[in-house]
Amino acid sequence: MSAGMEFVLLTFMGLPLLMVLLNNLLKKEIAQKICLSLGIIAGIVQMAAAVFVFASLKAAGQTEADFSQFWDLGVGASRFSVDFFSLLVLFCIGMVITAGFLTAGKTLGDKKFNFTNLAMILLLGMNGIALVTDLFSLYVFLEITGVASFVMISLNKEGDGIEGAFKYLVMSAIATVFILGGLAFLFMQSGSLQYGDVAAALSDWQYAEQPALLIAGFVLVLVGFSIKSGVMPFHGWLPDAYQSAPAAVSVILGGIVTKMAGVYALLRLTADIFVNVPVFNQILMLLAIVSIVLGAVAAITQTDFKRILAYSSISQIGYILLGASCGSAVGLIGAMLHFFNHATFKTTLFVNSAAVEIATGTTEIEKLGGLQEKMPVTGVSSILAFLSTAGIPPLAGFWSKLLIIIAAWQTGNVFIAGLALFASIFTAAYFLRLQRCVFFGPAVEGLEDTKEVTGGVCLSSLALSAITVGFGLLFPALLLFLQGQGLI
Amino acid sequence: MNVLSIAILTAALLLIVTGLYMLVRTYNMIRIIIAVEVAMKAITLLLAYAGWLNGQTALSQAFVVTIIVMEVVVAVVAAGLAISSFRKNGDVDIRRLNKLNG
Repeated sequence: MSAGMEFVLLTFMGLPLLMVLLNNLLKKEIAQKICLSLGIIAGIVQMAAAVFVFASLKAAGQTEADFSQFWDLGVGASRFSVDFFSLLVLFCIGMVITAGFLTAGKTLGDKKFNFTNLAMILLLGMNGIALVTDLFSLYVFLEITGVASFVMISLNKEGDGIEGAFKYLVMSAIATVFILGGLAFLFMQSGSLQYGDVAAALSDWQYAEQPALLIAGFVLVLVGFSIKSGVMPFHGWLPDAYQSAPAAVSVILGGIVTKMAGVYALLRLTADIFVNVPVFNQILMLLAIVSIVLGAVAAITQTDFKRILAYSSISQIGYILLGASCGSAVGLIGAMLHFFNHATFKTTLFVNSAAVEIATGTTEIEKLGGLQEKMPVTGVSSILAFLSTAGIPPLAGFWSKLLIIIAAWQTGNVFIAGLALFASIFTAAYFLRLQRCVFFGPAVEGLEDTKEVTGGVCLSSLALSAITVGFGLLFPALLLFLQGQGLI
Repeated sequence: MNVLSIAILTAALLLIVTGLYMLVRTYNMIRIIIAVEVAMKAITLLLAYAGWLNGQTALSQAFVVTIIVMEVVVAVVAAGLAISSFRKNGDVDIRRLNKLNG
C-alpha cells in the first residue's frame, strides 16, 4: 500500500476530528461565520478521498485494504478495512453531509456552531460504522452516531424535537440491549467478535453445544438492527424523529444516518457473517416485504411532507433489505446500488422539504399548493427524485430496483417479488398525491409571493438531481462493467 | 450446563424482563432511563459470563468497561432531554409527548 493511500485512508477518521478541534479552537465569532464551510469541506474531501481510494485499489488490483488509525496492525488486533461497498457508502456519507451543510445555512440561525460540532461527530460515527471489522467496535460507533443524532434532533429545544429525540433514544436503547445480548451469545460460541472469526464459528452452528443460545443470538441481533433501521413492525420512532428534527438535520438523518446505523449493519451481517445461516435471510426477507408494502400504504394517508418521506424511507429500506436477503450476488449488488440511489433521491426530497419550509414556513401539505411556478428548481428536482423512487426507467432508482426484483424472483419466492413490484405502484401513488398537493394546481391563499430559495439549498437539489439522472443514464455501462467482473 | 450457568442466564433474563417491564409500565422519563440502565446491566453480566465461558476474560472485561462508558453517555443525553422537557412542561411525564402521531 502506497504512502499516499495510507494518508488518504486516515482522513476518513481524522478529518471529522480535526474539524471539531478547529471549530472549537477558533474564536467564537469567526467560528460562527466559517463553521458551515468546515462541514462542506469535510464532506467534499471525503467524497474525493473515497474516489481516490477506489481508483488506487482498482489500479493495484486489490479488493480491500486494511489499516489502523492510532495503533499497530498486530495479529488479532482490531482494524479498519475498506472494500468497494464501504467506499460507495463513504461517498454517500460525504454527499449527504455536504447537502446537509448547504441546507443548514438558511435554516439554523444561531445554532450553526453546535450543529457543526455534532454533525462532525456524527460523520465520525458513520465513517466508523463503514470501516470497522468487528461487531463490538460496530456497537461503539453506533452509539456515537446515535448520541450525536439525539442531540441534533432536539437542537432547537422545542417540544416536538424533544419528543422525537426521546422516542428515538428509548427505541435505540432497547435496540442496543437486543444487539449486545445477541453479541454476548455469539461471543460465547466464537471467543472473538471479529467478523471473520464469528463467521468461521457459525459455519457449523447446527452442531454447536448449545444451538438454542445461538438462535437466540441471531434473533436478538436481527431485532436490534431492525429497530435501528426502522423496518416496519419496529418503525414507531422513525417518522417522529424525521418530522420533528430541524430541516438541515432531517436531511442528514433521513439521507444517511438510519441507513448507516441499521441497514448497512444488516447488509454487512448478511454478506460477511451470517452467510451460512439461511434462517436469518428468510426472516429478513419477511421483514423486508412487510416493510415495503405497509410502509407504502402508511405513506398514502400522511399529511406532513417530511412524514410522507419518512414512511417512504421505511418502504425503500425494505427494498434494500429484500435485495440483501436473497443471498445471491445480484441481490447484494442491487441492495448496494439501491442504498446509493436511496441516499441520493431521499436527500433530494428532504432538501426540497427544507426549501418549502424556508419559503412558506410549513411542511403540512394541506396548507401548500401551486408552488411549481414559484419554485421551479425545487419542483423539478422533487419530480425527478420521486420518479427515481418509484422506479421509472431512465432514472437511477429503476435499475437498482430491477436488480433487486430479479434477485427475489431467482430465489423462487415469486409471490414476494410480485408484491415488491406491485408496491412500486403505491410509491407512485403517494408521491403523486404529494406533488399534486404541494406543487401542482393553483397557488393557495397567502402563498402568492413565495420565492424560490437561493444559495446552498438550490445548489444541493440541482447537484443531487444531476447525480440521479446521470447515474441512471450511465447505469448500463456500470452493469456491463459488473458483468465483465463476473459479479452478475 | 451446570447450576452456575443456569443461575447466571436466569438472572440476566430476569434483569432484562424487569427493565422492559419498567419501561412499559412507567410514564416518568427518569424512570425510563433507570429501566434502560437495568436492562443494560443484564448485558454486562452476559458478556462477563461469555468471557468466562470461552476463556477470553481480558476481552470481555474490555467490552464491559466500554459498555459502561457508552451507557453513561446515553444516560446523560436522556437526562438532558428530560430536563428540557421539565423546563418546558413543568414535569417529566411522557404522556405530554404526544404531538406527533399518525
